[in-house]
Amino acid sequence: MTSVSVSSQPASEDPSRQAAVVSGDGDQLALVGALDIGTLAEARNSLEKWSKHGPSRSLDLAKLENLDTPGALFLCGLHDKGVELTGIRAEHRALLDLICQLDLKPLPRVEFVPRWRQIVIRLGKGAHDARHETIDLIIFVGRAASWTVNALIHPSYLRPAAISRHVSETGIQALPIIGLMAVMMAVVLGYQGVAQLRPYGGEDFTINLVAVSVLREMAVLITAIMVAGRSGSSFTAEIGVMQTREEVDALKVMGIEPMQVLVVPRVIALVIALPLLTFFADIMGLVGGAAISEFLLDVSPTQYLTRLPHVVDGSDFFVGLFKAPIFAFFIATIGCMHGLRVSGSAESVGRETTRAVVKSIFLVLVLDAFFSILFEKLGV
Amino acid sequence: MTARTKAHAEPILAARDIVNRFGKQVVHDKLSLEIMRGEIIGIAGGSGSGKSVLLKTLVGLHQPDAGEVLLNGKAVQSIGAAEKAALIGVLFQQGALFSSLSVAQNIMLPMREHTALAAKEQEQIAAMKLALAGLPADSGIKFPSALSGGMVKRAAFARALALDPKILFLDEPTSDLDPIAASGIDALIRQLNDGLGITVVIVTHDLTTLFTICGRIAVLVDGKITVGTANKLMQSDHPWIHEFFHGPRAEGAMKARNMSHGN
Repeated sequence: MTSVSVSSQPASEDPSRQAAVVSGDGDQLALVGALDIGTLAEARNSLEKWSKHGPSRSLDLAKLENLDTPGALFLCGLHDKGVELTGIRAEHRALLDLICQLDLKPLPRVEFVPRWRQIVIRLGKGAHDARHETIDLIIFVGRAASWTVNALIHPSYLRPAAISRHVSETGIQALPIIGLMAVMMAVVLGYQGVAQLRPYGGEDFTINLVAVSVLREMAVLITAIMVAGRSGSSFTAEIGVMQTREEVDALKVMGIEPMQVLVVPRVIALVIALPLLTFFADIMGLVGGAAISEFLLDVSPTQYLTRLPHVVDGSDFFVGLFKAPIFAFFIATIGCMHGLRVSGSAESVGRETTRAVVKSIFLVLVLDAFFSILFEKLGV
Repeated sequence: MTARTKAHAEPILAARDIVNRFGKQVVHDKLSLEIMRGEIIGIAGGSGSGKSVLLKTLVGLHQPDAGEVLLNGKAVQSIGAAEKAALIGVLFQQGALFSSLSVAQNIMLPMREHTALAAKEQEQIAAMKLALAGLPADSGIKFPSALSGGMVKRAAFARALALDPKILFLDEPTSDLDPIAASGIDALIRQLNDGLGITVVIVTHDLTTLFTICGRIAVLVDGKITVGTANKLMQSDHPWIHEFFHGPRAEGAMKARNMSHGN
């Protein structure tokens, strides 16, 4: 017969913590101390082998002071293996009864999918989703456009208060950051231009480079990206939160079309605000260009101003400004679309916001590339 | 029943002269509350009476402006993280299950953090806690988003019980549940109290819960607390308490209590 005689010291530094001590030998053992989630492992180690030796064994629990549910689960396991539990204290009886009569089943395994199959599944799902997202986007852009035009035809449908609030939030409040970014961008362009053109003695052309690229591309692009991150996301979040609180459903029940009260004012406001912001960014970009000229080229601001009309013409300015309302329309539409796609939970607000920003910046860049090619072919 | 008629000798938790104020508004005005080992106590009060703040104060999530909370004789703010986790379990109103973890992983998280048990043992214990909370084993691999309201509460129960706490705080355990699920939760609370000897503190509006399973009821009104058995509180002449225990809803709940008590 194996003789088990384990006496383990309190393992932890905490003196109040009791240990599970197994005493006695042969077929009759006694458990002394505490059998809880902290001492379960040692008790199991001392008793595991012993309990396998078959029936007619007993474990005395009269000196067991503390017992919790994992301990009770372990004792129930011993009991099922044929170990007789004796001397159970009254206060442990109810707990043991409760745990032992539970219908215990092991947790089911999660089905294992091999990595290569996961990749295939994800690719397929991605393609499927992309197709649906594109169709949804086209449909929503169409609906938003039709509602906007409808509101413009019937001015009584317009909501001037909402529009002006959104113009203020998306436009006026964005002025400082847009201005700062436009100046910074002109500085970056200026430094690169001077560094690249100086070896050829053409550093004076940096003025042309900065002015033309700011007016044609950079001002509108940086403004659109900033607005997509700032206002497109807030459109999604605002409408999304309304969606989670069932406010959108409340509108529908009252016979008010969400497209008309939520989407149209935002679209119109952004179509007003973004060209104005772009114009502001144009000016600030040119100011940045003047600063660069002063510091790197020794061209004074007055000289810079007199040179400016010779290096850029109206078409550069209008090509940039022309794109702004189109970008604005798509940024606002995508923001609102994802806001309305929020479903119930708070997590989906965050998810849709991310999607809206990524999608609108992506679309802005795609459209910009398209316009570049178009204007090149048109010779503007 | 046995647990409720047990002699409650010593308080497991004592709140002394708690003051909580937000700006000029005093929510708790020197209130004191003693919770006895092994009892089920209900905390009731009108909306905005500061029930949730009181709960947060009792579990040490909120530092009161004055007063102290003693848990097992020690100030709750000074108890170490692991020790506190072994003493206190909280069922939050919305369940507060971690949405990125499955139900079983939710239950195993405190065990993984505070015990040295092997993964297999943790899984066995998690399966046991699920069964204890009345959930089938296959709900263990589900994620919280796939559970119904009643199942979320039960899963949150199982997680609150993960480390066998001595005292269990329940914030509106039966709100948003249909009557059948709510009765199931009530029965579960009573079963755990009987079987595990666990002390239960319930913050609730649910009169049926208050009348059928709570031994004592603490009514929070005007920043003060009035504690007593349901019968005693019914004789109170405070207008709000009187209204609370004699309104039409209270009558129905009393009927339920008499039915469940068999008299």
